[in-house]
Amino acid sequence: MASLSRSTSAQITGGDTPRLNPQTLQLTALSAPAVLFTFAMIAFPFCYAIWLGFHSFSATGHTRFVGLDNYRKLIGDVEFWNGLYVTFALYFLGLALQIAGGIYLAILLFNAKRLSGFTRSLFISPILLPSAVAGMMWIIILDPSIGLANYLLSLVGLPPSEWIASPVWVLPTIALIDTWHWTPYVALIVLGGLQSLPQNVFEAAQIDGASPTRTFWRITLPLLLPTIVTATVLRSVDLLRFFDIIYIMTQGGPGNASNTLNVYGFKIGFEYFNIGYASALMLTLSTIVFGVVLALNRLRRAVAW
Amino acid sequence: MSTTLSADWARRLNSLQLALVGVFLLAPVVWMVLASFKQSSDVIAYPPTLLFTPTLENYVALIETTPFLSYGVNSIIVTVGSTTLGIVLGVPAAFVISWTRVSWPAVLTLAARMVPGALFLLPWYILFRNLGMIGSYWPIILSHAVITMPIVIWILLPYFDGIPRSIYEAAQVDGCSITRILWRIALPLVGSGVAIAAILAFVFSWNFFLFVLVLSTSDTKTMIAASFNFVGEGSTRWGVLMAVATLIALPPLVLAMIVQRWLIAGLTLGAVKG
Repeated sequence: MASLSRSTSAQITGGDTPRLNPQTLQLTALSAPAVLFTFAMIAFPFCYAIWLGFHSFSATGHTRFVGLDNYRKLIGDVEFWNGLYVTFALYFLGLALQIAGGIYLAILLFNAKRLSGFTRSLFISPILLPSAVAGMMWIIILDPSIGLANYLLSLVGLPPSEWIASPVWVLPTIALIDTWHWTPYVALIVLGGLQSLPQNVFEAAQIDGASPTRTFWRITLPLLLPTIVTATVLRSVDLLRFFDIIYIMTQGGPGNASNTLNVYGFKIGFEYFNIGYASALMLTLSTIVFGVVLALNRLRRAVAW
Repeated sequence: MSTTLSADWARRLNSLQLALVGVFLLAPVVWMVLASFKQSSDVIAYPPTLLFTPTLENYVALIETTPFLSYGVNSIIVTVGSTTLGIVLGVPAAFVISWTRVSWPAVLTLAARMVPGALFLLPWYILFRNLGMIGSYWPIILSHAVITMPIVIWILLPYFDGIPRSIYEAAQVDGCSITRILWRIALPLVGSGVAIAAILAFVFSWNFFLFVLVLSTSDTKTMIAASFNFVGEGSTRWGVLMAVATLIALPPLVLAMIVQRWLIAGLTLGAVKG
């Protein structure tokens, strides 16, 4: 807060006469509630979690400093490595499906010029559904004995699937559900990118006789790359912290086949009440998310035009 | 997609593909709503039935056998509370950020979006318990304001940035204080921005699952938190489960239809220009 008001006063007074004028006071007062709230609800709990990660808590309420023990335990924890694998398997699978599907849907929407706002909002309605609702909805559709999904498979002559009850199919199925949920979101972002592309490039390509397929791979896609990376960043943040739909549909099962780091960490913290270990795990996951976002941001600068 | 296709056929092909994608995206929602109006024998019928006699028995059972109305009231209290708090905190913050061009507080609120929610939940839970607040609505409202405030700030920033500085300068020459400029000049100019921010904050707070899962108690349980319990007993009462899901999905969908024009810009939170 101090540095905010300092830079504020420098900004307003032009830097020549740094003094606490009524303007600075008012700006500070206006921003104070939000700054205090951010400190109390975000910054302080974050630091508290770091402290928790270095401690161990016994059932009798006894707190003990254990240094890096929680992190050392993490390295030896088979469930942690399983969670890391599940998290990244789901991440790559879901991301590939959503980015490809999002580009596809965006191009379809872009080419359909005469689409009413209402129709357009129908296409994005899955985004607005709570993930809890999405989970409940798909539980019924994917039910092995009465579900619509297996009926549709039988119509085209395919054997029924166990879907989320199968350790093999649970991750692809959940990636598909998340793709259903968030592809429209990727499409929205890519559509915005498409609408801001310079049109003369496409006219030139058309005059030169480039085929639509060639135009797409050689011109549209490279020009869209910055937008696609933006969408990738936004989806990465959510996919790496995958929780809601898994916790509702499988609770990490069958076995530990869908036990993402976020689900595993939640269970350690709120079902086994191992607060120190859960904090260490969550901080590790946060570091992974930050790392991926930073890497993608570098990529975004590299593909900018 | 051969070049020999006429433009007319290309357009028809495009519409056809769009329709197929639309079916994939909407069919599950339609199926959920249909199932909520089915009798228990129709819900578990195999092969699944499209033609059935609609009934309200699932909704009636929901209201008669569970305190679902009070869950609904709790949901509204939490969502309206956190949306209001998000607006009260976020509007002045966005104004100051736009005025001073100091942007790191806005970036800090985004960092909260990258951290798994459970990391905050552990300290929150300990703090709220020590303060004796567990059991009241405050822990849930405050935790949801962590979601709504950044939405309000990020949606309003471009609106405030769009106001010409000369208007502020003229007001200052006339002796208008900054607080007065916000209230009397800036706020009326960004009214539509505040409305869209409020609606999106409402939707995101309404939809959020993780925080109510931990911070709500039997007295403050929201519809989303309660729905999780229904899943466990769902296998015996599919129809009721779908009625729950439909009721929860209704407010965000209706609100989205009302503001569809601004929805797209709001949802992408400035990721898309123009």
